[in-house]
Amino acid sequence: MEFMPELDLHHPATVEDAIKAYADAPDGRYLAGGSDMLVNIRRGIEQPDTLVYLNGIPEMHGITDNGDHITIGGATILREVAESDLLGEHFTAVATAAGEVAGPSHREYGTLGGNLCLDTRCVFYNQSEWWRAANDYCLKYRGEICHVAPGGKKCFAAFSGDVAPALLIFDAEVEIAGPNNEGGRRRIPLAELYNNDGMDHLTLTKGELVVAVHIPKPQDGASSGYAKSRVRGSIDFPLAGVALRIAVAEGKITDLRVALTGISPLPFLAKGMEKFIGREPDQACLEDLRDRIRTQAKAMKTTMTPPHYRRRVAGGLAQKLAESIF
Amino acid sequence: MNEMRPVQTIGVAQPLVDGPEKTTGKAMFAADFDTTEALVGRILRAPVAHAHITAMDTSKAEALPGVVAVVTEADCADSYGVLPIAMNEWALARGKVRYRGEPVAAVAAVDVATAQRALDLIEVTYEELPAYFTAEAARAEGAVQLHEEKPGNIERDVEFDLGDVDKGLAEADLVREIDVQCAEVCQVQMEPHAAFAEYDPGREQLTIRPSTQVPYYVHKMLARTLAMADSKIRVIKPHIGGGFGARTETLQSDLIAALLARKARGTVKVVLSREETFITHRGRPESQIKMKVGMKKDGTITAVDFSAIQRGGAYSGYGIVTILYAGSMIYGLYDIVSARFKGCRILTNTPPCGAFRGHGTVKTRFAFENLIDGMATELGLDPFAVRRANLLVAPTMTENDLLVNSYGLDQCLDWAEEASGWKARKGKLGPNKGLGMACSHYISGASKPKHWTGEPHATIHLRLDWDGGITLLTGAAEIGQGSSTVIAQCAAETLGIDLGRIRVIAADSAITPKDNGSYSSRVTFMVGNASIDAAQNLKAKLVEAAARKLEIAPEDVECLGEVYRGGQQDQGLTFDEVAAAALEGEGTITVKGNFDTIPESWGGRKYRGAAIGGTMAFSYAAQVVEVTVDPHTAEITVDKVWVAHDCGKALNPLAVEGQVQGSVWMGMGQALSEETKFHDGLPIAANMLDYRVPTIIESPPIEVGIIEASDPHGPFGAKEAGEGSLSGFLPALTNAVADAVGVRPTELPVTPDRLMELLEKKARDDRAAASTDGGTA
Amino acid sequence: MKTILSLTVNGVERDDVVPDNLLLVDYLRDKIGLTGTKIGCDGGECGACTVLIDGRPRHACLTLATTCKGATVETVDGLSRDSRLTALQRGFNEKLGAQCGFCTPGMIMASEALLRRNPDPSENDIRDALAANICRCTGYVKIIEAVQYAAKALAEQELVA
Repeated sequence: MEFMPELDLHHPATVEDAIKAYADAPDGRYLAGGSDMLVNIRRGIEQPDTLVYLNGIPEMHGITDNGDHITIGGATILREVAESDLLGEHFTAVATAAGEVAGPSHREYGTLGGNLCLDTRCVFYNQSEWWRAANDYCLKYRGEICHVAPGGKKCFAAFSGDVAPALLIFDAEVEIAGPNNEGGRRRIPLAELYNNDGMDHLTLTKGELVVAVHIPKPQDGASSGYAKSRVRGSIDFPLAGVALRIAVAEGKITDLRVALTGISPLPFLAKGMEKFIGREPDQACLEDLRDRIRTQAKAMKTTMTPPHYRRRVAGGLAQKLAESIF
Repeated sequence: MNEMRPVQTIGVAQPLVDGPEKTTGKAMFAADFDTTEALVGRILRAPVAHAHITAMDTSKAEALPGVVAVVTEADCADSYGVLPIAMNEWALARGKVRYRGEPVAAVAAVDVATAQRALDLIEVTYEELPAYFTAEAARAEGAVQLHEEKPGNIERDVEFDLGDVDKGLAEADLVREIDVQCAEVCQVQMEPHAAFAEYDPGREQLTIRPSTQVPYYVHKMLARTLAMADSKIRVIKPHIGGGFGARTETLQSDLIAALLARKARGTVKVVLSREETFITHRGRPESQIKMKVGMKKDGTITAVDFSAIQRGGAYSGYGIVTILYAGSMIYGLYDIVSARFKGCRILTNTPPCGAFRGHGTVKTRFAFENLIDGMATELGLDPFAVRRANLLVAPTMTENDLLVNSYGLDQCLDWAEEASGWKARKGKLGPNKGLGMACSHYISGASKPKHWTGEPHATIHLRLDWDGGITLLTGAAEIGQGSSTVIAQCAAETLGIDLGRIRVIAADSAITPKDNGSYSSRVTFMVGNASIDAAQNLKAKLVEAAARKLEIAPEDVECLGEVYRGGQQDQGLTFDEVAAAALEGEGTITVKGNFDTIPESWGGRKYRGAAIGGTMAFSYAAQVVEVTVDPHTAEITVDKVWVAHDCGKALNPLAVEGQVQGSVWMGMGQALSEETKFHDGLPIAANMLDYRVPTIIESPPIEVGIIEASDPHGPFGAKEAGEGSLSGFLPALTNAVADAVGVRPTELPVTPDRLMELLEKKARDDRAAASTDGGTA
Repeated sequence: MKTILSLTVNGVERDDVVPDNLLLVDYLRDKIGLTGTKIGCDGGECGACTVLIDGRPRHACLTLATTCKGATVETVDGLSRDSRLTALQRGFNEKLGAQCGFCTPGMIMASEALLRRNPDPSENDIRDALAANICRCTGYVKIIEAVQYAAKALAEQELVA
């Protein structure tokens, strides 16, 4: 029930106006759906004097088929991403992941861009101002120490967006607009949007925003899926989220990609998946996959659930996904 | 006319009498009153877990424009607490704080931003003391005492040793032990705590609308804390957004709202955040239960030897009662011939625990039913057969002198076994699927009230006026459980009239008779009986009036509810005509009905505190839980629950089902996902993301079988329905998990990480065993 | 900053001066006195504040009022028309989908959104639609029955009409 501080809210109609409104503010933030940002503002984690609301920008809405790739506007709500037949057909993991975010009401205003730029989370950080003050704050915000790894200077707050890993396995690119190149746009692979640093996990520079996501259509007939570990069947952030894309020809794996979320400060593609190319996707193969994922899922104590489990379950989910796709 | 019959209200599904308000948004909860003019009350909370308050300066806060009142312990006249023998709390910490989040000061201001700024200006100096967050740390040698009067930080040690336990164990064919660890859990009723307080400075009177289950206790504690005459206080219970025991004590927010209103000489609303509601706590304590049971080859239980350690939190609250229930309620469900118990309630630097639905009984029941399930497997007995080997025969008194007057556990077992298809399906569900079962019971109100005043347990007033409408006045606190409806049903049935003729006015101390409140499942039994008594008294007056009018003898009057007549040929008088006749020369009629418990139900005297557990009647339940375990993630899915509940008589079958489903489901939350945890005494799951109340997705279908083993003293034979089936879920779940995957969880909640550890350990053990076998073969 | 917020609330067009930081739930409850919408948590965790914005269920506690410019907002307070309870309200009443009643406004609004786009929902459809709304009393069993009751009642109403 912590209350909203005083602030100004801007309603730009174009990306350019949004960038300008942001630039004019002493301490602005972009506001997409707000399902996470407003919680953080109420808790005093974010204290902007200005919010620039992106929902009124037509360019940032919608899902369009551009032949060889699909474009999703950054302000497209997650429900639309989840329900899109276009995405469901070519990028099952993306639609599934969007449909797994929080709960149905959240997905009515939570946006794709917001989910990709979601602040990292930690049980010592996502608390009220009173709580964090009583706990001497933390590295990520106002404090000197990390309660996850006392003595360290790295922040382990985990990136917990569901959709990013599903986009990573499809080589998605993000289109970014900002004040730097005179309103021009830049496009980078999604993986380059992230840093492995819980305090500063986005590579966006001041005033930049994600306008759209472009996903090339896969040519290899791969199937994909997304699976999420959480204690409850809804609302919760992922304890571990796994997106997997696999193509099989003549009984042999021809393509395998796995990406993880909820584990580290950034979503990431699992390494070494090329080793599975040419193998038969049998029980032994999938158990190898499970174990290989486990070694890369180095979760820290950022959630109520202990890291050991998150590591184990990440592997288990990869195995389960691969099994279910066949 | 000859077909005319009294209207039947009992045993018929009745929507709640206050249902329409709730579905239209018109129901007024405490936070809904005066959303514009009232001052905003906010509370400053201690950031430290255990400390002396060496200085406090509120002058800067008081000087802030927009601040109308600041209160501290200096404004509190006395301590408070729910048990007269353990009133060691203060609305605002006096001299010392004992847990992180304890209220130390509060402000009333024109708006929330000003109130918050004022809190930031209050300067408090703490001299920190060592703090203890576990029972073990708090009871360790040399630990600093939280309270001067509680050496060793022991709230209460409890002991009993009834029958010959050692002999029982010696005679058993199988003796097994279990050690269970149960996480602390919190009620998380949907409505955050709130209180709306109005002070009338001219009359020096206080009116308060607190979100409470116990308006009477709040009334008493307000008078004590504010040093006001009881008669100057009016407590009106608004709509209440659930309680489950969190609100069976006066809460600081109730008292603080009143303190602020008086000091501000105006109206103050205190609405706690969800985090503050978690900090206020009063949940079920973290507990360790160790239990040893002796069993014969046929399943007969020969002895139970057990102990319980509870982490009680920083203040007494209900603690003594909770630890006593943990022991005494081993009795009353089965025929237990000998039992030994050692219980210990420890004071720790964490928010105070309290009375959570199933008060004190849940973790003992979990240990017991979990243990005997494993023993049944070892002896090759069916779990149902083990229960049937130990049934009581009512009427009887248990070894610890609890009265059991009605007993439907046998029927509950039959129903659950049949409905779940147990015999055909058990062991045949395929890999990673399992069935488990367990039983449970609960009291229908504590037969001895906490505050002994000599008054009856319950009193109802019925008022009949010229309009022919009956107003039922009750102090019973409707908190969503349907009490107003069931009380009205009791009166309507007795009078044979339509439920719509009765208007219920509940819990306004200026209007309604006193009631002890909604806790320990007392309302249906006690207030229901009082309502019947009142209705009988009213009926006698109506019959007399009808007799006068019909010019026949009262014993010749046939009462058909809406018609009173002399015989089948008689046209008779309508209810309105009888009412008018009754008012002649008399005026508005008010009658009263009372209920009191019988001395045989007051519990025993064989050990100190043996009265706890004493009740007029026990409810009984048996349930079967079906689960699927995901081998990749160790997630448990509860596929279905079949639960039979013996409530004596289902006065309102719809509400009984709702209560039983809610109980079972709440047990599921505790069993699978809910956990109150602390980081150095800071509640780390004080929000509804990290404290995981189940969502609709993982909530199973719950089929309810209503069993009616009529109780001779119950209202129309009824007993409680709102708590008894909770505790059975926990062991039924772990028993089902054991059936599904061969590991038996003893630590709650059985979150996926805990189950995965058990599964991995089993896999390691199996591998080790296989290699050993291979070596010797 | 304050701005004039023009929107439709429960069928009534309104123009109110509101500060930019005002949450929709506070606008509804404190500014215009519609207290049917409840606050059960500290932001987006419980669903008690669910209202319909342009027919879609959203959390009023995580929506800034001025982002509803020009929108149609519906709350539980405005559902019943001509003093008659809606089918959903009757369902929650008759089937005991409401015990304490605190989650009920949010549950009913989320259910309303469901039935408008899917008049014949399966049990799983109902579960999916209510998955952001926590109830602590019912175990959800009778909430599902309440929504099924309403769907059936509405279908029968259609037949009659």
